[in-house]
Amino acid sequence: MNNFVILPILIPLLSAILLIFMTKNLMLMRIFSTAASAIGIVISGILVQTVFTKGIQTLSLGGWKAPYGIVLAADQFASLLVLTTAIIGLLVGLYSFRSVGEKRERSFYYSGVQFLLAGVSGAFLTGDLFNMYVFFELLLIASYMLIVLGGTKIQLRESLKYIVFNIVSSALFVIGVGFLYAVTGTLNMADLSVKISESGQTGLITVIGVLLLLVFGMKGGIFPLYFWLPGSYYAPPAAISALFGALLTKVGLYAITRVFTLIFIHDTAFTHQLMIWLAALTVIFGVIGSLAYSNVMKIVIYNIITAVGVILFGVAVHTPASIQGAIYYLIHDMLIKGALFMLAGTLIALTGTASLHKMGGLIKRYPVLGWMFFISAISLAGIPPLSGFVGKFKIAEGGFAEGEFTISMLILLSSLLVLYSVLRIFIHAFWGEEKETPKPNHRTAKGLLYPAAIFLLLSLLFGLGTEWVSPYVDQAAETLLNPEKYIEAVLKE
Amino acid sequence: MQLLHLAILSPFLFAFIIPFLAKYAKRVHTGWFVLILPVLLFIYFLPMIRMTQSGETLRSVLEWIPSLGINFTVYIDGLGLLFALLITGIGSLVTLYSIFYLSKEKEQLGPFYVYLLMFMGAMLGVVLVDNVMVLYMFWELTSLSSFLLIGYWYKREKSRYGAAKSLLITVSGGLCMLGGFILLYLITDSFSIREMVHQVQLIAGHELFIPAMILILLGAFTKSAQFPFYIWLPDAMEAPTPVSAYLHSATMVKAGIYVIARFSPIFAFSAQWFWIVSLVGLFTMVWGSFHAVKQTDLKSILAFSTVSQLGMIISMLGVSAAALHYGHTEYYTVAAMAAIFHLINHATFKGSLFMAVGIIDHETGTRDIRKLGGLMAIMPITFTISLIGTFSMAGLPPFNGFLSKEMFFTSMLRVTHFDLFNVQTWGVLFPLFAWIGSVFTFIYSMKLLFKTFRGNYQPEQLEKQAHEAPVGMLVPPVILVALAVSLFFFPNILSYSLIEPAMNSIYPTLLDGHEKFHVHISQWHGVTTELLMTAGIVVIGTIGYLSLNKWKGIYKLFPSKLTLNRLYDKLLTMMEKGSYRVTKQYMTGFLRDYLLYIFAGFIILIGGAFAIKGGFSFKTEGMAKIGVYEIILTLVMISATVATVFARSRLTAIIALGVVGYTLALFFVIFRAPDLALTQLVIETISVALFLLCFYHLPKLRLKTKTRTFRMTNFIISLGVGVIVTLLGIASSSQRTKDSIASFFVKHSHDLGGGDNVVNVILVDFRGFDTMFEITVLTIAALGIYSMIKTKVKEEGKSGE
Repeated sequence: MNNFVILPILIPLLSAILLIFMTKNLMLMRIFSTAASAIGIVISGILVQTVFTKGIQTLSLGGWKAPYGIVLAADQFASLLVLTTAIIGLLVGLYSFRSVGEKRERSFYYSGVQFLLAGVSGAFLTGDLFNMYVFFELLLIASYMLIVLGGTKIQLRESLKYIVFNIVSSALFVIGVGFLYAVTGTLNMADLSVKISESGQTGLITVIGVLLLLVFGMKGGIFPLYFWLPGSYYAPPAAISALFGALLTKVGLYAITRVFTLIFIHDTAFTHQLMIWLAALTVIFGVIGSLAYSNVMKIVIYNIITAVGVILFGVAVHTPASIQGAIYYLIHDMLIKGALFMLAGTLIALTGTASLHKMGGLIKRYPVLGWMFFISAISLAGIPPLSGFVGKFKIAEGGFAEGEFTISMLILLSSLLVLYSVLRIFIHAFWGEEKETPKPNHRTAKGLLYPAAIFLLLSLLFGLGTEWVSPYVDQAAETLLNPEKYIEAVLKE
Repeated sequence: MQLLHLAILSPFLFAFIIPFLAKYAKRVHTGWFVLILPVLLFIYFLPMIRMTQSGETLRSVLEWIPSLGINFTVYIDGLGLLFALLITGIGSLVTLYSIFYLSKEKEQLGPFYVYLLMFMGAMLGVVLVDNVMVLYMFWELTSLSSFLLIGYWYKREKSRYGAAKSLLITVSGGLCMLGGFILLYLITDSFSIREMVHQVQLIAGHELFIPAMILILLGAFTKSAQFPFYIWLPDAMEAPTPVSAYLHSATMVKAGIYVIARFSPIFAFSAQWFWIVSLVGLFTMVWGSFHAVKQTDLKSILAFSTVSQLGMIISMLGVSAAALHYGHTEYYTVAAMAAIFHLINHATFKGSLFMAVGIIDHETGTRDIRKLGGLMAIMPITFTISLIGTFSMAGLPPFNGFLSKEMFFTSMLRVTHFDLFNVQTWGVLFPLFAWIGSVFTFIYSMKLLFKTFRGNYQPEQLEKQAHEAPVGMLVPPVILVALAVSLFFFPNILSYSLIEPAMNSIYPTLLDGHEKFHVHISQWHGVTTELLMTAGIVVIGTIGYLSLNKWKGIYKLFPSKLTLNRLYDKLLTMMEKGSYRVTKQYMTGFLRDYLLYIFAGFIILIGGAFAIKGGFSFKTEGMAKIGVYEIILTLVMISATVATVFARSRLTAIIALGVVGYTLALFFVIFRAPDLALTQLVIETISVALFLLCFYHLPKLRLKTKTRTFRMTNFIISLGVGVIVTLLGIASSSQRTKDSIASFFVKHSHDLGGGDNVVNVILVDFRGFDTMFEITVLTIAALGIYSMIKTKVKEEGKSGE
């Protein structure tokens, strides 16, 4: 029992509520939300360290013991993601100051962000499947609020699709949880694992597992469930896209990882093989999408899908190497997607267009922005010493070791097209003759760039300092691969 | 961290201060600062020859990710040192040359030297590290710096095209190589090349041997511009000439050769290695030289020539594999020896030729051979440089190219004597191809020299008044051609210092104990087959050159639509346009399409899993009795649902939907859950009221536009989803567990929760945490709706698709 575990949820929740009452004072709001995010980073950093030294931390809410009450369980996997979430929250906040506009800021924007962070952290930390649904609802409703905030035409059009899809997936989520509860009689994930181990994973339970894969896959953006994603991530301002792109799909991936390493682990020949195929298709369609457009934002968005496929493959292969790889890559991708959305947003803000055809020769005026695109392309492609390398290499290693040669090679070679898709931005927008862009009022990019610069720096440090990160990732992977540790921490305290 | 690591990283560190030097020390050409570094590094590496000569090596570890086995391990042996000296030596000359080639007034010097230094460091890394993952890192960095250098004049369309092409081809090769490295790691559990060499037996017997070998060779072939991947190299000539001289002839393109030499001890034992490496090399040699003849741009001639010469070196490395079967006799190791020797020679003469071409381009404003001519009198020194360079390239005495060409023939002739890998039948092709390639080499060499310097001077065709280059530009090529001449007379300077130690690295297992390779290169062997072949080349080549106009037509026989370049362009457009078409096809922007896909996915995935895994069962045990009320309610519910779907106006649909909800409430009543029934009634009333309120403001439903197929698909999909969910529900209910946590709630809601209504106690106590957040969700919903209505922001520049 450790009350500390609830703080990463409580801090953003309380700050969100307090922020509702600060809309009059812009500066106060900015400072307060930044401070809250900073505290969130410290808290989750401490959580990571506590879990590292003392093992999984749990908290039975209301004192109701598992499996009857709701339990929060922070293992290293969840804690690392909570920390990354907090970092993204802070940097997106900083980026927002200059990009979302005062009108949005005054319309509960920062509250929305903090609510979202609370929901995401909660989804990572909870040990109860139904409670996870509740946190999904929390983060979704906050995301509905943020996606439509500002009420531009494109936002209204796309948010409708976004909401409809998420309602469908939420409905399926409840259906899945309901059926699973009927069959197993429990909602606690550790207890579910125990019950299913005892009674055997029947055909029906496997089907329910696939149903949950579908639900989380819809949030995560895997094939064939990602169709809602490109449009909805395109509509809101870049700061919100960055938040969504870095966090929301990853929650879906987290949930897949959790349930398919803890609960549905007795028929991997079926479930995990299915995931491997879906992962491969996701990568293929992601890459195709990212090459299809000359729209900066779209290129970045389709790259999310590719990355989701890569991570899903790591999870599905389900060996120590591939799971480690998936964790490395998940954290890497959260950082780098944050950076890319901000860079794309800055590019659009500076030129007034998202189309590569209308840009050219920008390197002369915005060299820093150009080189940041270049670096993020390299990082995205997984070229060492940046952060994408270790994850991709570990995932491929696991894939090769399990005999998945074709798909492992596909994952490796997808890096080439991922690299090319982002370098196209560099080649077309920053090289070439200078062109008159729709917004030629030579604005400076300075204030917009430093959050992205911090992301890139973190990516570099993450790559160079892999040795420091690896004990944590090892611990996280070990817990995922040995569910009994998780079960023991949750049920036997 | 030791000096060695610092030496490799120094170019990167130095690159950081270049922008400042370029900005604040404008009066001095930035190149002068840069020049210091390669010179220092060359001086640093040079004395290490003594070490490698005595058969020793140097190894030093800087830990990077020790827990994953990835460390920055520097390992210097004969092969690595040879390359390091090439990189720093040619690097110094090229930097010196670039100072005069790139004007400090007109060009952006900062970026240029940053890229150049990045390349230098990366290339040193490739040849000096022992850990394959670090090697891979530096490998990709050379590709990236090459990309940036080719695109240096980024305003030119062709530069961008060439840059992207080289990147796509070399990086894809690099990724294949990474795959190969991972496979080797899985076999040997080590990233160290030396470790792998020790485990060669294990690797040879492993089922992953062939995939690993092919993947690594793909990396080497793409980088070293072998057929069919060479197409990037001619387009890379858009880079400034110093870059072409340095990266695209002397060093980077030889990284593939380095990898082949480095991994020879691991793979060369197999027949596949022998055949693939030697045939690809030989074919590339002929192909490259044949196509070089047709070019009219001086740099293109040199580019194809480089392709051909790289092929030649690679073929020799392939053939040298035989020594592993026959043991250490000069008869079989000559191929490896010749490969290393020619590697050095090629750097000297090709480097000088590139610089000479750069001078011609710089001083006349064109590289088009049709516009040039008669420059011999105007540019005598450049002429001399070119003469030595081309003659050496053509394999004529008294230049170093002659010696290595003879040795090349020797090694190819000896292939016919192999009794390995079923060589006998085809062995004769090796010397034949080698000879044909050499004839074309002779022809393009002569063409390059004479078309430029003999014939008529055509000042009206040139952009500038031609004149001899400044001294600074002439010094580097003069040094290189001086080497080309002196290496002919004293080739054995190299034998002991560089070639023998490098051979030690290619054949680490051949020698035991303190044995040494004895390399002795001599100018005269008497009248041998090799010499006769050279004589034949001169005769046939001269005839061929003089009658070039007569047989030029054969190039037209190659259909222009089937070239590899066309294929690349096609693939690229297909990739971009095709992806667009594919994506546009399904990303229609319509919600109904997306829903269709997702529900179709649902049917396939869930229905499929259900069908495969079984799991359906139906038990009536534990069910409530079905009476008249239940049947009536069910019928009402079903007909209301059907009515909702088929309703022609919104009002009907809403009312029908309301009926479904109220019937559900009645079910709750029947099953004795009055509080649930109440909740349901309230919710249903509110939502129907709200729906009516909202829909009042909406336009009328348009039903006419929907086609029959559209309706059919919708019907099938919705039916499928409905059936699957129902079946799942029935199955779950039939396989219901008796051991549920619900019993705990029922049992303890009074004594522990203090309430008799179990549902209430669950909501506010047992699972109060859920409830709190559900309430929060409602708050946010209210907040969100309020801010949506209130906030209106101007449209941004995104609508333009």
